[in-house]
Amino acid sequence: MAMSKLRRREALWFYVFVSPWVIGFLVFLLGPMISSIYLSLTDWDSFTPPKWVGLQNYIKLLTDDPVFWKALGNTFHYAAISVPLGLLVGLWLANLLNKQVRARKVFRTLIYLPTLVPLVAAALVFRVVLAPSGPFNDVLGLVGISGPQWLLDPTWVKYALILLSVWGAGSATVLLLAAMKGIPQELYEAAEVDGAGPVRQFWSITVPHLTPVIFFNLVMGLIAAFQVFSQVYILTPKASQPGTYNASQTMVPFLFDQAFSYYHMGYASAISWLLFAVILVFTLLAFRTTRRWVFYETEVK
Amino acid sequence: MATVVSAAAPQQEGEKRQDGEERTSNASRTLRAFRATPFTYATLIVVSAILSMPLVFVVSIALSSDQTVNTNTFTIFPTEFHWENFSRVFGTDLPMGRFVVNSLIISVGSVIGQMVSSGLVGYAFARLRAPGKNALFLVVIATMMIPTQITMIPQFILFKDLGWVNTYLPLIVPNFFSNAFNVFLVRQFVSRLPNQLDEAAMVDGLGFFGIYRRIMLPMLWPVLIAIGIFTLTYNWGDFMGPLIYLNDESKMPLALGVQYITTTGVPGQPPPWNLVMVGSILLTLPMIAVYYLGQRYLYEMDISGGSAGVK
Repeated sequence: MAMSKLRRREALWFYVFVSPWVIGFLVFLLGPMISSIYLSLTDWDSFTPPKWVGLQNYIKLLTDDPVFWKALGNTFHYAAISVPLGLLVGLWLANLLNKQVRARKVFRTLIYLPTLVPLVAAALVFRVVLAPSGPFNDVLGLVGISGPQWLLDPTWVKYALILLSVWGAGSATVLLLAAMKGIPQELYEAAEVDGAGPVRQFWSITVPHLTPVIFFNLVMGLIAAFQVFSQVYILTPKASQPGTYNASQTMVPFLFDQAFSYYHMGYASAISWLLFAVILVFTLLAFRTTRRWVFYETEVK
Repeated sequence: MATVVSAAAPQQEGEKRQDGEERTSNASRTLRAFRATPFTYATLIVVSAILSMPLVFVVSIALSSDQTVNTNTFTIFPTEFHWENFSRVFGTDLPMGRFVVNSLIISVGSVIGQMVSSGLVGYAFARLRAPGKNALFLVVIATMMIPTQITMIPQFILFKDLGWVNTYLPLIVPNFFSNAFNVFLVRQFVSRLPNQLDEAAMVDGLGFFGIYRRIMLPMLWPVLIAIGIFTLTYNWGDFMGPLIYLNDESKMPLALGVQYITTTGVPGQPPPWNLVMVGSILLTLPMIAVYYLGQRYLYEMDISGGSAGVK
């Protein structure tokens, strides 16, 4: 009897302790989610009462809004290049740093430093770095390439965003380097006895052991890339550069504009659900493929 | 708030602790045959130089004269040294001092909120027994998958109805309700602590809150400081939140303010890039300081990617 009383007191305290999360969940997540589903089925300017339109917002987005498809295509384009490229560069640099390098700490710090720069500062810096007569084009000029107008040319503006993201490849480098340290040395020694050269060792030992980390970064990177906002907003301010605006338009800035510039709250809510669907599909797809290429040591043991 | 986006960064920070162990395995690594060749060094030097170039350029612009800005004749390496730019931004020209104070208010408020609430919630999920606990924890994990954009508009309407638009409250208050990722971190941390101490305290008749305050809290510092670092980093650099909620220049945090001043100049004239870059430096330096001071707390905590979710 006393035990059950204590148990009940414990349960009561549990719910007291978790109440901040429960309240936050109801007020800031579940409530807004339900309200967002409803809003996505209405036409609402946030001042007059919402007008029920059924699936009209979704139908219009999918069949009658070229800017939405443009934004979606750009977002795919950005994610499909920036995420794998960042990981490849990270893998390459981590492999270089994993050798017996003198002053490794100095190189590692220099490679990692850009990732500590807040996104807003990084984007502002890149607006100047990628200017037509900016230092990046100066450097390209040194090797005989005449650089494009990165931020003004519709075909190049997406690559400006990708360059900015690759500038942060240091975070993947440091993660992969840490994972490389965890690979058992005996494997390399054994491979060497068997006559495998460095290249063979890299592809047959290093890379398979890194696949869990690569997979994790791929999924997280894709989720973040689909939600890219600040870089687009800052690198391509629409007022000054109307020409490139839609060329660099991605999902979240498009949503933001619809909601907070045009007060199309219902339409913007529908965009947010389509964005969620896209992220969900890609996350599930990534998990679906894990069996084929992600190697977990625990499975062997 | 920002469950998905902010979850990615902390995860990576956690993973870095393995890096701290590299010294211990030095002996075995000398067996490795892969010597760095001159080609390795050449590649590393070129890559480091390219990656550092924007940082050098920022310093160069920050030290430029207004004349250089207007004629757009910057150089990669500084050739002029207008150190007064660093004091000018705090003068009457720009409310940069105000921006910094606003950033501090928002960041510190958010950090306190997350540390207080995540500790309590995470402890309860790790230690206390209650019906429905496991189901509730599954809900916690599931919420990590919801992108913030879904709740952005209804949350805006909510805060607008509360009259909180153009105040710091929408940016600070939600942090007092913890978030899924931080709850998860604390729960993992507490489950690895020995439970003899809290059981002994229970026998001695200390209540559950007493146990949390007197026994748990002193042991939770490493994970709470790590959460503080993640929260600080996220809120200090957050751009979209302030962009949605703050309209008055006098209320803007640095991350928004420094962007804002690029949009307000005289039409046809370039923004005051030298002062903007001083602002960017002010935005960046605290993050570098926090990273280097906080590194050991991140290492100390056993939240390496391996255990927290890579698999």
